Amino acid sequence: MTTHPAPAPSGAPGTPGAPATKPAATRRIGARVLIGVLLAGYALVSLYPFLWMVSGAFKDQFEVVRGGHLIPEHPTLHILTDTWNRLHFLDYFLNSLKVTALTVVLTLLIYAAAGYAFAVLRFPGRAWLYRLFVALLFVPGVTVLLPIILLEHNLGILGTHYGLVLPFVNGTAPLSVMLLTGAFTAVPKELRDSARVDGAGEPHIFARVYLPLARPALITVALLTAIPTWNEYLLTKVSLNDESAYTLSLGLQQLSAQNVPQYNSLMAGALIVVIPVILLFLALQRYFVNGLVGAVKG
Amino acid sequence: MTALGTSSSASTPRTVGAAARPSHRRGTPGSRGREALTGYLFIAPAVVLFAVMGLYIVGYGFLLGFARWNGFAPHWDWVGLDNYADLLWRDPVYAPRVHEAARHTLYVMIAVPVLTVAVSFPLAVALARVKRAQAVLRSVYFLPYVTSGIAVFYAWQYILQPDGAVNYLLGLLGLGSLQEPQGFLGNPATALPTMIVVTVWTEVPVAMLMYLTGLQTIDRGLIEAAELDGAGWWRTQVSVVWPLLRPITAIVVLLTLRSALHGFQTFLIMTNGGPGTHTDVLGLEAYRLAFLSKFAPTLGLAGALGWMLFAVAIVLALINLRALRSRV
Repeated sequence: MTTHPAPAPSGAPGTPGAPATKPAATRRIGARVLIGVLLAGYALVSLYPFLWMVSGAFKDQFEVVRGGHLIPEHPTLHILTDTWNRLHFLDYFLNSLKVTALTVVLTLLIYAAAGYAFAVLRFPGRAWLYRLFVALLFVPGVTVLLPIILLEHNLGILGTHYGLVLPFVNGTAPLSVMLLTGAFTAVPKELRDSARVDGAGEPHIFARVYLPLARPALITVALLTAIPTWNEYLLTKVSLNDESAYTLSLGLQQLSAQNVPQYNSLMAGALIVVIPVILLFLALQRYFVNGLVGAVKG
Repeated sequence: MTALGTSSSASTPRTVGAAARPSHRRGTPGSRGREALTGYLFIAPAVVLFAVMGLYIVGYGFLLGFARWNGFAPHWDWVGLDNYADLLWRDPVYAPRVHEAARHTLYVMIAVPVLTVAVSFPLAVALARVKRAQAVLRSVYFLPYVTSGIAVFYAWQYILQPDGAVNYLLGLLGLGSLQEPQGFLGNPATALPTMIVVTVWTEVPVAMLMYLTGLQTIDRGLIEAAELDGAGWWRTQVSVVWPLLRPITAIVVLLTLRSALHGFQTFLIMTNGGPGTHTDVLGLEAYRLAFLSKFAPTLGLAGALGWMLFAVAIVLALINLRALRSRV
């Protein structure tokens, strides 16, 4: 399990003062077992709701109300296909995809440019503006929910997907600005200087020199934007009225709003919602972890 | 989304400052002016969006806090600080509700940071020692963050039911006495603690990953030196590793405090404040005042409550940043 020598629990060789009452080998095994139990235990805690989500989605009406076993006695795909067909999940799915894609693309365009300006260009008010963007992090969602709705009503975009995308994009500002500014700051200044000597203009340097070098940070920001946007529920719920504009979150909510919630179709719907985002995470998780490392190290 | 944001906020002044300092390049005033203009053009889209969806919105909410309005009347009635007074002590209907919600929110704000640190730090220490399974386990531990949303909260609701999977598991483990025949969300005594557990479950992934990253940046030599000095494994963790990771603990505490104060989506979906009002929290109260009071003129109250939550968040952030700075 562990091959790393450094924090081995056995009193390191040459430590006569250590209270080595038990033989080192026993203690090392004891520590390994403890670690194994802790890690496996939390893996179970982490997965437990998902295990039952999958289980519930494959149970028929009778079995799902009986509770009991994780493995369904008569597993059926019927609930999953039925839920998908009955509730226009394809439409909801495409709406979610549209909102998420638009949010990610706009976030990357807007904050890559802003991050470039913050990182390499000098202009009065730069540090002040930067702080303002980061401070946005502390505004509670519930404080702005109502004003956003009122403003969008006046602008006539309430209930449209653009009415969701614009606040979502702005909501990613603190994190996106911080990560992208950090990434552009890390690019060696000499590259920009030599490109300028070659006569390249600012847009050219940005697009041809900086953007390619910041690719990992761009992917991190895309992922950190896509995940919460896909899962978003609150603003979507209070904004959208027209069922044809619904995203997956609202489709799922509709399922539970029936008089008696059918947990098997609710879990089937939940599974449809989480699978795409899990796949996206698994495909790009390398960037996610590295991006966070960069953020912590500053 | 924002959850990960503050992870670097502590170091951001440095980032900008560092970029600013070596930048005293000689340039003619003309070229400097052109650069400033380019700078403004590059940030213009972000600033415009921020001005409308950020500053304007927050200012609007602030003004609304001083008005009485039901959302339909053609104009606002200015009432000064009445909304704040009504919420805090004066109104016989709203004030007691706010007090109870504030008490619940306070429990959540104490329990969630403590439990999140207590779970995620040992987990990260254990995970850092594992080589082969680390990547897989990290992904497993991360699922709650990736899927955090309505779907997962319905799954929790499902397993917390009277005949649900949590009671089932307790029975299997021979802990039948801990089972809840009414379901964990149905019993007034267990509903709020259960919601705290679910919140911690969603907060652990990011905290764990931040600790894990922090552990990887610790100089191996320090730990080896401690062990050469005769410190055992526990002693090393407690006296060397934990103090070194204090900046990360400060960030984790800040993030979890913030979501404990602002987060109410889990409550809205899973309990809607119930049973009775036993899981009512301030965010939920503000949401109801804003969206669920039909024609009653409560939008100003919602604005005032939202602003109080904002003020508390700022105070907490300042305290936390100061604590962070004094330690490093």
